[in-house]
Amino acid sequence: MAEQSNWSRVGEQPRDAVDREWEVFIRNESRDPLQHVGSVSAPTIETARTQATTLFGRYATDLWLCPATDVRRYSRTTIDERAVSVDSEGERDERGHSA
Amino acid sequence: MISISKLLCGLDAEGDGLRYDAAGESAKPQITDHKQRRPVVVWNLTKQCNLSCSHCYAAADTETADGELTTEEGKRVLDDLADYGVPVVLFSGGEPLVRDDLPELIEYADASGIRPVLSTNGTLITTEIARELREAGLKYAGISVDGLPERNDAFRGQDGAFDAAVRGIRACLDAGLKTGLRYTITERNAADLPAVVDLLHDEGVDRFCFYHLDYGGRGAGIVDADLSPEEKRAAVKQLCDLTRRYHDHGDEIETLLVGNYTDAAYLVEYARQHLSEANAERIDDYLRRNGGDPTGERVADIDYQGNVHLTQFWQNYSLGNVRDRPFSAIWDDDSNPLLEALRNREQRLSGRCADCQYQDICRGASRLRALSVHDDPFAPDPQCYLKEDEIVPTV
Repeated sequence: MAEQSNWSRVGEQPRDAVDREWEVFIRNESRDPLQHVGSVSAPTIETARTQATTLFGRYATDLWLCPATDVRRYSRTTIDERAVSVDSEGERDERGHSA
Repeated sequence: MISISKLLCGLDAEGDGLRYDAAGESAKPQITDHKQRRPVVVWNLTKQCNLSCSHCYAAADTETADGELTTEEGKRVLDDLADYGVPVVLFSGGEPLVRDDLPELIEYADASGIRPVLSTNGTLITTEIARELREAGLKYAGISVDGLPERNDAFRGQDGAFDAAVRGIRACLDAGLKTGLRYTITERNAADLPAVVDLLHDEGVDRFCFYHLDYGGRGAGIVDADLSPEEKRAAVKQLCDLTRRYHDHGDEIETLLVGNYTDAAYLVEYARQHLSEANAERIDDYLRRNGGDPTGERVADIDYQGNVHLTQFWQNYSLGNVRDRPFSAIWDDDSNPLLEALRNREQRLSGRCADCQYQDICRGASRLRALSVHDDPFAPDPQCYLKEDEIVPTV
């Protein structure tokens, strides 16, 4: 059975104080895996796309953008003090309620 | 960071080990060995600020941002930075003094073997706070003043900000804290520059850092307020002349330039014209050791929410977040093609940078300004002020 213990959900805190944050993924060859290369701050998807293609267009044939707030992050090593512990019953907030 | 006083006047200063790999030549305490190969890290502790400066790269606000790193998270970050060998952490903001845990974090950094320094507007520093910061282990406070009183206050969005900053400077000096000026040069305040140096020197300040405007945060909105390249050249020449004048009178002030490595090439040209060919060659040698624009290599930034940036000014792109992954792992990840390209940019620089004879001591200067103006991080810096005949390789 795959390892299910010691996972925490990271980063419920916002990471986009000025504009929305967009995670950027690229691939340069069709056989390559998608690679996470960071994030851009932009008010709209159009601006985010322009920023990301300006920075990474020369290294990519595929470029994906995802709102950072729509990414669920799970980790066993995070320093995030507000990370939510995950157990076999699912995710629980600080008061023990199901998330 | 380029020291005019070191290069033109031979001033021995604490930062030379970092800047020129010249620790062995100095009588002052120096950062040496492997730490020189790690970046100086700027940590924007908070977005909150009591002022509203028109050039703020961090787009600071009167309100705290959600999700700021907590004290404990900050200590875990400092643990990683210490293990990685980061030599210096510059606590910045926003205004870092709005965070109550600043002395605790300074003390933690100092105990971890990291040199803690501070960038502040100075307006919140009292005698008690200055003493507390020094006792916590703070090694240096850089206080921002951007013009004579009326102009500074207009720039900073608050009447009385200049006088409050000077009170902060006095408090720091009284507490025995090494203190210096931070001055961002723009079209609006360039004319005030010598008078501000004179005024603060009279207050006891002997270190003056001059920042070129970079085009991040609110700075991006005031590109038009930047000097023209010709005006910038004149401002830098004025600083060189002023530094030499002070030293000629026995006042060994330290003057530094930040944010435009065109200055490196200009200092060689200045020395050739005003000092001697031998001096120009000596300065060129120091600047080769310095290594040119540090983006992606010798400087890094962690913002208040833990996002890691290429420099403190390059806020709209993040390499990763320290809540997901340690800073050391993010910074060492050469699989990021942009990071790799910036670190090996020599073949990628284009336009007048491609064949410039000063490319190795300048490295294209600000990649953020190039990106902001030309939509290309490898295009020439729009604030390169070298003349055409200066960039031609000598045969």
